[in-house]
Amino acid sequence: MSPKKNSIILFAVVFMVVFVSATDKAPALIKWIILKDCTVRVNGSTNINKFSCSIPEYQRSDTLTCYRPGNEVPVVLSGRLALPVISFDCNNSMMTNDLRKTLKAKEFPSLNIYFISLEKYPELNHAQEPITGLVNIELAGISKKIEVNYRFSMDEQKIIHLVGTQTIRFSDFLLVPPRKLGGMIRADDRLDVIFRINFKRIADS
Amino acid sequence: MKKIFLSGLTAGIILFIISYGGLYTAIHYFPSFFVDYNNPLFNSNGDRDILFYSHAFIFSFALSWFWERFKGLFKGHFILRGLEFGFVYGIIALVPVMWITFSSLDITFTMVSSWFFYGLCQAIIAGIVFARTNP
Repeated sequence: MSPKKNSIILFAVVFMVVFVSATDKAPALIKWIILKDCTVRVNGSTNINKFSCSIPEYQRSDTLTCYRPGNEVPVVLSGRLALPVISFDCNNSMMTNDLRKTLKAKEFPSLNIYFISLEKYPELNHAQEPITGLVNIELAGISKKIEVNYRFSMDEQKIIHLVGTQTIRFSDFLLVPPRKLGGMIRADDRLDVIFRINFKRIADS
Repeated sequence: MKKIFLSGLTAGIILFIISYGGLYTAIHYFPSFFVDYNNPLFNSNGDRDILFYSHAFIFSFALSWFWERFKGLFKGHFILRGLEFGFVYGIIALVPVMWITFSSLDITFTMVSSWFFYGLCQAIIAGIVFARTNP
């Protein structure tokens, strides 16, 4: 093979590699704006009943930033949800007040969810895609890194729907599960947290 | 004094078993009745459990002293004396206390009625014990 032919082949290979990697690579920085119709629900139980409390509507337009310099995994996220604990509603005023008291709403008015990473960048199509990710949950002044199970999907309006579920424990945040009448009525330490967040992609850079 | 103490202690032990055993059983079999206790009005961190569980003895010693002072007023069979004693306590202590409790706290009528019934049963049982141990 002649040196000229070799050079052409080499050039073609380099060109293809550069072209393919340039077109395949996602934008380095993706911003998702959190839409206002987001909810957070906690499900728990006591030895006499089950309860379900939710923050029905997230009122802030926070932004999540997704850093994706290449095809590296995990994908780095930054941004947070700051949820007002006082907005928890258990459809029962007594239980609502009890949960707020247990979560120390007066001292620590916000439940913060800091997004850290995703195991991979979601495909973002109609089908729900399960992805795990790391978040830092800050509750009652205690911060804990937790792996969350997400399901990502995107609808026709290009709105990204994220459903995150995870079980946490009161004791993880040094909270005492409510107990009444000398412990005869007591709440389970486990709380199932489900958050539904809707995003819209706003900018790439 | 010894009689007051001994009959108070006896009534306290019996009431402890019946009251907390009954409460435990009621919570187990009628859980929906206790849902309203998930309320910040009720202590929830356990630091007063000792006070909660000593109530049977505080109640018994107080009523034992009361019995010693007024037992001459209760005549007849020991069960009848205990019943009358319980009803007297119910009328002069429980009704006014439950009245002010219901009027001032955010609790249900069912809840306050159950407290009245619970206190009345305790006083009747204590009265029967006193009528037997300190006639």
